[in-house]
Amino acid sequence: MSLLSPTSLRVATAPIRRIARFNSTISYSSGYEDYDIVVVGGGPVGLAFASALSSSSLVRQNLRVALVEAGDLDKVRNWSMPSDSYSNRVSSLTNASQAFLREIGAWRFVDTKRTCSVEQMQIWDGISNARITFDATDMGLPEVRHGMAHLIENLNLQRALLHSLSESGGIELLDKTKVSTIIRDAEDQGGWPVVHLNDYRALRSRLLVGADGFNSPVRSYANIDSYGWSYDTQGVVATLFHPPRGAFQGPNTTAYQRFLPTGPIAFLPLSPTTSSLVWSTRPHIARALLASEPAVIASMVNAAFRLPEVSIRYLHDCIVSAHASGEPLTHSELTDEIHWREQSHGIDPHSAYASAIVNILNLEAVPPEDAESVPPLVTSLQPGTVASFPLRYNHTDSYIGEGAGSRTVLIGDAAHTIHPLAGQGLNLGLADVETLAKCINNTLKLGGDIGSYTALLPYAQERYLSNHILLSTVDKLHKIYSTDFDPVVWARTVGVEVLNELDILKGTMMAAAGAQVPIYPQSNWNGIAKGFETIMTTSHTVKYIAEKVSNILASRLQGLVKSPTAKKGNST
Amino acid sequence: MLLGLSLDGGREEEGRRVEVEEEEAPQNEPRRLGIVWEGERESSLPTHTSTINNAEIAHFSKLSSQWWDEQGEFSFLHKMNPVRVQFIREKLLQAAYEDGVIPEDTPSTHNPLRRLDVLDVGCGGGLLSESLARLGAHTLGIDASLSNIRIAQMHASADPKLRSTLTYFHTPAETLLTADPKRYDVVCSMEVLEHVDNPATFLTTCAQLVKPGGHLFLSTISRTPLAYLLTIVMAEQVLRKVSPNTHTYSKFIKPSELIDFFKAYRSPIDENSEALSRPWINPNLEYPTRVEAEVRGLIYNPLQARWVLAPRDAFGATECNYLFWVRKPNNP
Repeated sequence: MSLLSPTSLRVATAPIRRIARFNSTISYSSGYEDYDIVVVGGGPVGLAFASALSSSSLVRQNLRVALVEAGDLDKVRNWSMPSDSYSNRVSSLTNASQAFLREIGAWRFVDTKRTCSVEQMQIWDGISNARITFDATDMGLPEVRHGMAHLIENLNLQRALLHSLSESGGIELLDKTKVSTIIRDAEDQGGWPVVHLNDYRALRSRLLVGADGFNSPVRSYANIDSYGWSYDTQGVVATLFHPPRGAFQGPNTTAYQRFLPTGPIAFLPLSPTTSSLVWSTRPHIARALLASEPAVIASMVNAAFRLPEVSIRYLHDCIVSAHASGEPLTHSELTDEIHWREQSHGIDPHSAYASAIVNILNLEAVPPEDAESVPPLVTSLQPGTVASFPLRYNHTDSYIGEGAGSRTVLIGDAAHTIHPLAGQGLNLGLADVETLAKCINNTLKLGGDIGSYTALLPYAQERYLSNHILLSTVDKLHKIYSTDFDPVVWARTVGVEVLNELDILKGTMMAAAGAQVPIYPQSNWNGIAKGFETIMTTSHTVKYIAEKVSNILASRLQGLVKSPTAKKGNST
Repeated sequence: MLLGLSLDGGREEEGRRVEVEEEEAPQNEPRRLGIVWEGERESSLPTHTSTINNAEIAHFSKLSSQWWDEQGEFSFLHKMNPVRVQFIREKLLQAAYEDGVIPEDTPSTHNPLRRLDVLDVGCGGGLLSESLARLGAHTLGIDASLSNIRIAQMHASADPKLRSTLTYFHTPAETLLTADPKRYDVVCSMEVLEHVDNPATFLTTCAQLVKPGGHLFLSTISRTPLAYLLTIVMAEQVLRKVSPNTHTYSKFIKPSELIDFFKAYRSPIDENSEALSRPWINPNLEYPTRVEAEVRGLIYNPLQARWVLAPRDAFGATECNYLFWVRKPNNP
């Protein structure tokens, strides 16, 4: 390495010092301000990371941290909405995520009156109607009262994180500030990333954290490739109004999701009379929906949860062709169409599956038997809440920058984007935040360099694979449910029906999806005892599973034999 | 200047230059302030070469540019470093409790290294020195290889956290002992013992650099068939993670040999008298007490790609890499 010979060391340092003399207002010779951590991006994940850092006294005492955000964070800090209206960007927070937010002291600042605990989830197949029900009480959680997840407006969470940040302090929030470029410092200065801002400041950063979303500038700087694709799908969101559940029904705490071949449609409860819509569908349908009057969208949503798939396909065609012709479908035309379809499918007008005539139900009346297998009837949409965004699958090759992109790390959507059908996007991001913050604390305690590859490696080791499993599971789910190919429909139906019978397995799935707050074994002995217990119960479980599976297989096989004849009848 | 050692011309010039810089632009803290550029020629200091093995120095000088490639030749050391610091922290914290320097209820997050004088003998690229300096210890890293010292200096100069607490010096430990009267609260020498020629002399030198009541930390490899298999056959020959000839089996030292050495070793009470302290480890007991010394195994978990500190007295844990701590008696 000729660079290291004594003479060239002198040569390398001299010009930098000379520059310094002409640049005397800035504290360091190169004109850069030294920071330990620069976080780019002030979305929920970036703010949660800053918040997690500020909750650690070790960080506050030792590190200089800045968060750069292009938007105005004051708007988020002072965000407020009347109690009967809701923002259209809603996320589902698992109990694990919530426990983490409590731990860093941010949950206290959440307006919990605006959140809704999910006590039950009903998910069904748009073609075969095979249904799986998750119930908080099934899971045998010590914290049933929390439900299995909480629905929260993203802005409610971001506001809470900002308040938590101003309380604990120690983080510089540089909002209304854009990153103009990120360059690498000179090799003999360590090659640290230098973040140049649009206000001409330059932050030389020991560790650069990319919480800057799918089009992450930090990821481009770090030269980390990613693997993914756009789904040919848009997510349509809106805030929905509906009458409260009647006296003989449960509260509005059930989340519903129906898998249509065009994508899943989800109904997420926010309050007794308000819920949030996340409808993933083909772009041309999304465009037609967005161009329709609100009453049409409301009726389409009601129908999408109720009518057989063949009719929904027809209704899609109707609004798409009407949209293309320049004369959008009117509400009365749509209602007539739905009414006619209900009659031809033989749907009883008093059944919960009838939606053509939205009569404000008598709340005292005994509801139809099947009332809780579909969401409440949507009566209107909150004005200005209909929006759409493209959906994509993306996973970076690495979370840690190497070589010329060293001292960088990616969290949240900058590292991975996921289909919203499982409501896991934000939860994955928060799990990243928790792991990375812990990793940084451990490194600080042992005097390590928090920007080094060695220090960041445990973060990637802990998160990459588990994120990847969830990402690809959700991706496969999307693909399996996007088809109406008979054998696939059959297989997924059997799978779901088997699963629905197995409470033990469902409990495990929910725990894996973060519904359960992780409890770490107190000691090794505890773990060993647990393991032994598991082995003892496994033999029973296997017998039990075998029984259930064979029953369902038998009945479904019969169904498959009958189905060609039934199909013929249907299609005419 | 800093160490009271004879200075060569280059050093004098460097020191003056720094001062001039400060006068001219007081706000411009030069990046390399506090890190002393030392030794323009390999033999800039009179060397006591009793423990230095020139072949070893040449070996590491050749590899020096790779010290900070965290995924290269020294990746094992990078991963081992946090565990070494963890051990040093734990022992210093425990000693501080026992001395009554800190109350019993001090949280385990307390940093016992702050403001201690620490010497890292055979600092290499400065992996350990940087960590200790970041924890606030006034750290001096020395190494017999000039190229190692250069790499260490260059790497540290990029880090603003190290400007005030870390110094490097190109010298063998023996020279430092005779040329500079300064003694240290903590002397560390990690993965060095298996590379020196005369371990007993080297240990004596290190021991003399420790203040009374101070601590000596060593890490090395035991001379066992397992160690041969893992460090020479696997690491060097099969997996090629480490350059061939990095290790020499016959130079490995067993933990019992270190304990026996300190059962016999008495340090001079002061430099000018013949009086000696009591042995560092009580020779009448089979095992050292917990306030005298400790041996802990370092185990590499290839699945996690992580080193772990084995629990005390874990069976077989010290058969390969291990850490050793011994405390210098406070009084005769």
